[in-house]
Amino acid sequence: MPEWVDVGSVEDVQREGRLVARVNGREVGVVSDGNGTLRGIRNRCPHHGGPLCLGRVGERVEGEPGVYALTGRQTLRCPWHGWEFDLQTGLCVDEPSLRTAVYQVRVEGDRVLIQA
Amino acid sequence: MIDCDIHPQIGDPEELISYIDPAQREWFRAQGASLGLPGYSWVHPSSWFRQDIDQNGHPPAADVDTVRRELLDPSGTDAGVLNGDDAVLVSLMPSPYRAAQLARAHNEWLRERWLDAEPRLRASILCPAQDPQAAAAEIRRVAEDERFVQVLLCGGADRPYGEPRYLPIFEAAVECGLPVAIHSGGEGMGIAAPPGGAGPVTFYIEWHTLGSACSTMSHLVSLLCHGTFERLPALKVLLIEGGIAWLPGMLWRLDTNWRALRSEVPWLDRKPSEVARDHVRFSTQPLEHTDGHDETLFEMLEAAGAPDNLCFASDYPHWDFDDPDFMLDRLPDAWRAKVLHENAAELYGARLALPADA
Repeated sequence: MPEWVDVGSVEDVQREGRLVARVNGREVGVVSDGNGTLRGIRNRCPHHGGPLCLGRVGERVEGEPGVYALTGRQTLRCPWHGWEFDLQTGLCVDEPSLRTAVYQVRVEGDRVLIQA
Repeated sequence: MIDCDIHPQIGDPEELISYIDPAQREWFRAQGASLGLPGYSWVHPSSWFRQDIDQNGHPPAADVDTVRRELLDPSGTDAGVLNGDDAVLVSLMPSPYRAAQLARAHNEWLRERWLDAEPRLRASILCPAQDPQAAAAEIRRVAEDERFVQVLLCGGADRPYGEPRYLPIFEAAVECGLPVAIHSGGEGMGIAAPPGGAGPVTFYIEWHTLGSACSTMSHLVSLLCHGTFERLPALKVLLIEGGIAWLPGMLWRLDTNWRALRSEVPWLDRKPSEVARDHVRFSTQPLEHTDGHDETLFEMLEAAGAPDNLCFASDYPHWDFDDPDFMLDRLPDAWRAKVLHENAAELYGARLALPADA
């Protein structure tokens, strides 16, 4: 049964835009999705093993040929090769054969807990 | 067997000039045998042509009888597509007005001197790509004759063909139900960019190795990145004589970059290689010699969509011609029907069946 683990403070996430903690032997990150919601995601890119949570969260752009349009969909972009990951599902958006683990996040007072 | 690349030669320039508007004949006549087409800075050290074709001092393949005797009959060609030879360089002429006139004259010359004389022949529409609106008008005009089965562009260009300025050409082709062929050649000539991507090369061997392959790669990557096939879902493109052994590597490279750099071309919502499989075909000639590694070549090409994306081409009467029997021996058994006939039949559709089967 997964348990809730205290991984740091809300202030930590707000200051850095993320926090990374070791939980059950794995590095897990908590990042803000740009709309104020905290998301838990494993800090390892399934592509080359890069520190995924050190990447940037940003709004995905799509569009018709020649047109750039914001989609409202926030993705986490790996700091190594720039591959984009969905923060809710952990799927690599453009290579769905790749997926990283995502975790439930809960805020209690000033503390951030993830279920792992 | 369908041959996607036969090059009719202009034997007597006056024959073509007779199709030029009288008001422009003096200018074209003054250009001599070149007809104002940009000359090649890199020239084959002995001859552009096969040396076994005797035609009384004219370039080979300058009349239908020769093509029948030398190619169509002995090869068992069911249908062959005529692609303007030097004439494809109209798009590299500095004057778009002269280019439009020469393209028009060449299309009429093909119609009367070649298509009317031999029912197995089809032809490509020449157009002045440096003036896309004029090119689109010429495509629509000529496409009414269903013996013209595709639009022909030249590998040499001042910008790659995915640039939006060229869209009217592709739109007109789709509207007329025609694929667009891009035939290597002309790289570094006239208004075209230098061949090879690192400045002008030194030798013909460099030009022939790099110029045609690099321009073909550039147009392919450009069309894919600009989303030309997303804009025009019915568009098919045939890349002729640019080599194919590089194709798997180029598509893998592009796919890899797309995963990381998609935000620059966010209209690409699937791997560029998948788009290429659906929309792009390649001629086989000149099929690279592999020093005993044909199996490796074919295995890699399968990863890039072969044999469904390959169409046979002879390139007659050029020196690097691929003989159909030679190709039959090299191709895997399971590929032969698709490469020699079926893929081109699908690409050209009903226009290939006319009028012999009508």
